[in-house]
Amino acid sequence: MPTFGTFIRVISLSVVAAFVAAVAAGAASAQRKDTVLSGAGSTFVAPLVAKWVDPLGSAYGYSLQYSGIGSGGGVAAVTNRTVDFGASDAPLTPDQFTACKGCIQIPWALSATAIIYNLNGVKNLLHMNGATLAKIVAGQITKWSDPAIQKLNKGVNLPDQTIAFVHRSDNSGTTYNFTDFLSSSSADWKTKYGKGVAVNWPVGTGQRGSSGVAAGVSQTPGGLGYVDVAYALANHLKFFAMQNKAGKYATPGLKGILGAAASQVKPDPQTNELSIVNPPTKFELAYPVATYTYVIVPMQSAKAAELRKFLFWAVTKGQSYGPKLLFQPIPKSVLVVAEKTIAKIHS
Amino acid sequence: MTTLDAAETRRPFAGRRVRLGDLSLQVVAGAAAAASCVLVGLIVWKVIDGSLPSIRVNGPAFVTRVAWNPVLGHELYGAGSFLFGTAITSLVALLIAAPLAIGIALYLTELAPRLIRGPVTALIETLAAVPSVVIGLWGILVLGPILRDHVEPALHDALGWIPLFGPPSSSGSSLFTAIVVLTIMILPIVSSISRELFLGVPRELREGALALGTTRWEMIRGVVFPYARGGIAAAMILGFGRAIGEAIAVSQVIGATVGIHWSLFSGGDTLASKIAESYQGGTTKLQVASLIYLGLILLVFSLLMNVGAQWIVRRVARRQGVGLNRGGLG
Amino acid sequence: MASHGITRADMAAVNLPRRRVVNRLMEGFTALAAVIGVALLVIIVWSVAKRGAHALNFDLLTKTPVPFAIGPVKQGLANAFAGSLVLVGLATLMTVPVGILIAVYLVEYARPSVRSGVSLVLDVLNGIPAIVVAIFVYGLFVVGHGQSGWAGAFALACLMLPLMTRSTMEVLLLVPNSLREASLGLGVPRWRTILSIVLPQTIGGITTGAVLAIARVAGETAPLLFTSSLVGTHVSWTPTHALQSIPVAIYELSESPDPADHARAWAAATVLLIFILLTSLAGRWIATRSRRRISTSR
Repeated sequence: MPTFGTFIRVISLSVVAAFVAAVAAGAASAQRKDTVLSGAGSTFVAPLVAKWVDPLGSAYGYSLQYSGIGSGGGVAAVTNRTVDFGASDAPLTPDQFTACKGCIQIPWALSATAIIYNLNGVKNLLHMNGATLAKIVAGQITKWSDPAIQKLNKGVNLPDQTIAFVHRSDNSGTTYNFTDFLSSSSADWKTKYGKGVAVNWPVGTGQRGSSGVAAGVSQTPGGLGYVDVAYALANHLKFFAMQNKAGKYATPGLKGILGAAASQVKPDPQTNELSIVNPPTKFELAYPVATYTYVIVPMQSAKAAELRKFLFWAVTKGQSYGPKLLFQPIPKSVLVVAEKTIAKIHS
Repeated sequence: MTTLDAAETRRPFAGRRVRLGDLSLQVVAGAAAAASCVLVGLIVWKVIDGSLPSIRVNGPAFVTRVAWNPVLGHELYGAGSFLFGTAITSLVALLIAAPLAIGIALYLTELAPRLIRGPVTALIETLAAVPSVVIGLWGILVLGPILRDHVEPALHDALGWIPLFGPPSSSGSSLFTAIVVLTIMILPIVSSISRELFLGVPRELREGALALGTTRWEMIRGVVFPYARGGIAAAMILGFGRAIGEAIAVSQVIGATVGIHWSLFSGGDTLASKIAESYQGGTTKLQVASLIYLGLILLVFSLLMNVGAQWIVRRVARRQGVGLNRGGLG
Repeated sequence: MASHGITRADMAAVNLPRRRVVNRLMEGFTALAAVIGVALLVIIVWSVAKRGAHALNFDLLTKTPVPFAIGPVKQGLANAFAGSLVLVGLATLMTVPVGILIAVYLVEYARPSVRSGVSLVLDVLNGIPAIVVAIFVYGLFVVGHGQSGWAGAFALACLMLPLMTRSTMEVLLLVPNSLREASLGLGVPRWRTILSIVLPQTIGGITTGAVLAIARVAGETAPLLFTSSLVGTHVSWTPTHALQSIPVAIYELSESPDPADHARAWAAATVLLIFILLTSLAGRWIATRSRRRISTSR
């Protein structure tokens, strides 16, 4: 009669054997029919890339694997060739171009950074401008009831609550976009903290990824943060209408993004980068915290043919998935340059 | 002829085959043992090698510098902020966990009714089996809000004049939440080692003291503690070592802030959690090397804790002439 | 003694009520500590199970994740469950033979100084934080080649090895020397003695070691963070690419703003907890059984 102990041993050995069988089956199984294209980087563009996975699979049989680990992570990953392509909202610096050894940069999406806030009982789309925002993020303004904020929002009852700023703890292109805007709005911020994928934040707590910041703000009364506008929509978060250089208050919708994109129509001939933050006065409809986001690929790759097909699709058909997520399809002038650059990828 | 000779003559080449089999097994097994030593050496070497670029630029000043400025052109890195975070979270966690753990161990060895000793011991040790990511999940979604909404305001109102208890955190992610999480994680380790130590105190010593008329507590204080003193110290050091190495649960609840803030309710970062947060996204070679430098500091401290605990155990064992039953601790 | 008015016994008698109070206080404290310890476990397990029970359904095991889904979409963590099986399975395959070999060497062949030296090295390995192991494996296998299930499994194996080796050593040491001597005396070569006579006695302990090591490493996140975390949503069984795992999935979902993501994280955490608790229990049961068998047999 088998004892209980024997029973347990048999079960455990079977479990171990099951592991072994699963592993053997996995290792011996035929190579997947789909080609795997792996990418990592910006959480800003992650909602759009997520929408591309299924159509790409049915169009070409590609299995697109994308992980939002932050723009800095994307650049690092493609530099170390641990992925096939990287995504970054912050354009590569000359040093990063050198380190990446023959990488090219292609603008492939266009959207905006929403400045989100969590105030119970207060309406959506409060007014805010760059100078006041810079003071808040620098820790000089600490309460929502501060007169500077009240002045921009006459007639709104702002609570006497502490502003709980949430920033990114990882290296983020959204941070780059946000601090780029702060630097161009406030000389004080520019000299003290500057712009970058990460800065020496004077106040606030850090969270990983745009979803982390969205989570932080939505769970913190009085919270203030910055995320790609798609995250603000998906999580029903309130965001500011930001004042542009023309004095008008613009929202991070398709109109505002298009208005900002009008401020630079041709990408830089060397690096393909575009800067549309805080556009000059004549662009009245512009939302001042909009940005292009880039895909970084090595010019020479074993998967060159697949990458070319994927990227051509992304900048053309892929753009049609954008508007629902508040990604404005890239303008024709940028598309032309993008396609020329994509054609350079070879094996 | 003995049986042995008959066996040998029946198989004329037995000697050579036997030697080959013996040699093969010894060599293969020895190679495995050597490989494990090589592995540890390789880990240490890779960590040193990876941090060299930062060591060359920053030198030992890195260890105490309180800065982490990744802005290109102004890059300046230092471990001071994270050493502070590691020290304060792990030390306070140990301060809270150690008396609790020793209390639990005493209860289980001296005071608990026999029937519940087994189950309660098993329950305490099960706490050690809960993965850190689950404790972190619980920390973000359950513990953090409770601490933020109820515990921290109460502590601030009652003890706000002490700089440790500053204004309550707004998000629930703070050094304080990390301390509670770490306390939960090191409690079972210190408790189970202490329990084994107390079980090893000779009965004659304990019963002798009781026979002399001491109360149970006096017996514990006078016999058990002195006897197990070294082991308890080792257990606490091992618990501390476990706390400083914890990256995942801490990174989920600590609020990722650079700088030295004395209020427990502010955010912070430890060596391990900073690496977990930033390593994948390291932009420049200097930043990646500085993160590995943090790992090197962490590794040195962990090794010191581990070796230190072992050394205490050996010293105590030699002095008392007995050894702990387990081959290694922790 | 009677020449001095107050004796020690008198002092003891006078202080007795106070000593008894102190004793009761300390007894109360230790009981309170035990209650707190048990309460912590109950609170955490109850929190996880209560929230996880809601989202625990077959979808979790059979459907793949749909990130940034708009509106309610049937999704689950199938890729994470599959990936965890492969990663832990591969790590076990790597660790068990090596652990047995090291234990055999240390117990059967090594001089006491070598045995304590290598034991020290293994204790050091046990004490290295998992995040440092992750950095190491990243630098060794991932840079230039990309993440893979192999790299993740190797990182897990580094954490399992000390447990596996120690478990096997303990049970090898329990095998009575008389058994070995009898076998050698009958002319069986040393290697056959070890493989055919001694090791079979220790199957219970080896299984215990493997099972406990699996329980330890099934919930580990840090070693997989940089080695097997850039994953897609499809279920994959091939370790040449990075594979999703349950702990990493929980880690990522825990920092999301979406309550539906939290629900799936709780459900996955519940499954993980159940698995680890059952495995630990099974391991300990086998341990006590096999130890009893060895010491009471012969």
